[in-house]
Amino acid sequence: MRRIAALYAGISHQNRSWNVPKYRKFISEIVYIPEMTETSLQDFDVVLVPSRLHAGLLQKIKPWIHAFAERGGIVVVFWPLAGDVVPEQRWEHRPTNFWWWLDKNAKSGLVLDRPEHPMFRYLTLEDCTWHQHGVFYPNPDTAEKLVSIENDGAIFYIDKPASGGTWIVMSLDPEYHFGSYFMPATERFLDGFFPYIAEGTV
Amino acid sequence: MTDYRDIAVLDSGAELMFESGEQSHYATIDQYELGEADLRPYICLIIGGSCDQEFLTKHRDIVRSFLDEGKIVIFGGHLFRPWLPGGSDFIPREIRSHADYHITIVQEEPFFAGVNPLELTYRKGVAGFFARGHHPLPEGAIPLLTLPDGEPTLYIDRSTTGGTLLVSSGATLLGFDRFEDSTRPITGRLLRWIREEYARLQRSTSENEREEVRG
Repeated sequence: MRRIAALYAGISHQNRSWNVPKYRKFISEIVYIPEMTETSLQDFDVVLVPSRLHAGLLQKIKPWIHAFAERGGIVVVFWPLAGDVVPEQRWEHRPTNFWWWLDKNAKSGLVLDRPEHPMFRYLTLEDCTWHQHGVFYPNPDTAEKLVSIENDGAIFYIDKPASGGTWIVMSLDPEYHFGSYFMPATERFLDGFFPYIAEGTV
Repeated sequence: MTDYRDIAVLDSGAELMFESGEQSHYATIDQYELGEADLRPYICLIIGGSCDQEFLTKHRDIVRSFLDEGKIVIFGGHLFRPWLPGGSDFIPREIRSHADYHITIVQEEPFFAGVNPLELTYRKGVAGFFARGHHPLPEGAIPLLTLPDGEPTLYIDRSTTGGTLLVSSGATLLGFDRFEDSTRPITGRLLRWIREEYARLQRSTSENEREEVRG
């Protein structure tokens, strides 16, 4: 099992998502961001960066997260976040499609770009489907898009940039919704995603 | 719109466009600057559910003293650390059907006269918008809204401190002015209530001080 650090900023939804026993068992340590130092991530293989972080805190720890990736670490980034966070970030805002599923015969508009990818042994398209916060246009030379909006950008991709490490980036916020007791699909997502990042082929 | 610069919103600092709009009429304090902030200009402090409760626990004395000056604190979110006077940890409701989210108005004043409780519970037919659990009532507090088994999702507490707490297990009530239904007046009523409540608190604080001088 990979050693996973879950970053935490004292927010109630993070507290629930990281501490509920079925996810806590995958997490080696919950790291309180305001007390982080540049050595806080040195013992881990994976770091989880939650959505909606305080912009100043995020800027403070960004060099440490990038250094962690450059040493070969896996960085998981949930979204929305303020500012530049991931390498070569190309993100575009899209109005959040909170209500698409209320329309008759609605489609979420999401497609799997690589259904054969090992992650989809753990997750289905439905597990990744609630609403997304914008789209990414990752570097096609280094990144694999896994889930996209049809004829638009990616909402989930894995990048192995020249600078090092693996970046798993999504415009999804499952830890926010599960931790807020809202949106059941986000629980199915985390049920599959935790075992995937703990042991799956990234 | 009227300026409400005597009301301070503790800003979670996420700087996300879809969340910042409703804060613009109020003063804002970055949550991590609470320790250094001069709170004297403010009559009310509004704290949302995306704030750092570890940090607030470290600075709980600031929240307590603010209240004891005869001021108001409004919290909306899920408590899980002991920083809010009178506050207990959030208890989620076990959900078997959407009816488990139904809100009952047990006290119409000062915010909910004429408000349809179904419009608090549902948005576009989806249940659970107002609250998905509750905080147990502190002694002497008044419940305003409840879940189906009487769990208070919004209460006013004038007993625990020298000020007034308004505690919601959902949102803070600041966002209703963007809706076009019976819930729309709630935010305006809240803002008027803050001023009236503050005036009442300050009157009773100065009466108590006169008592002490006489005693």
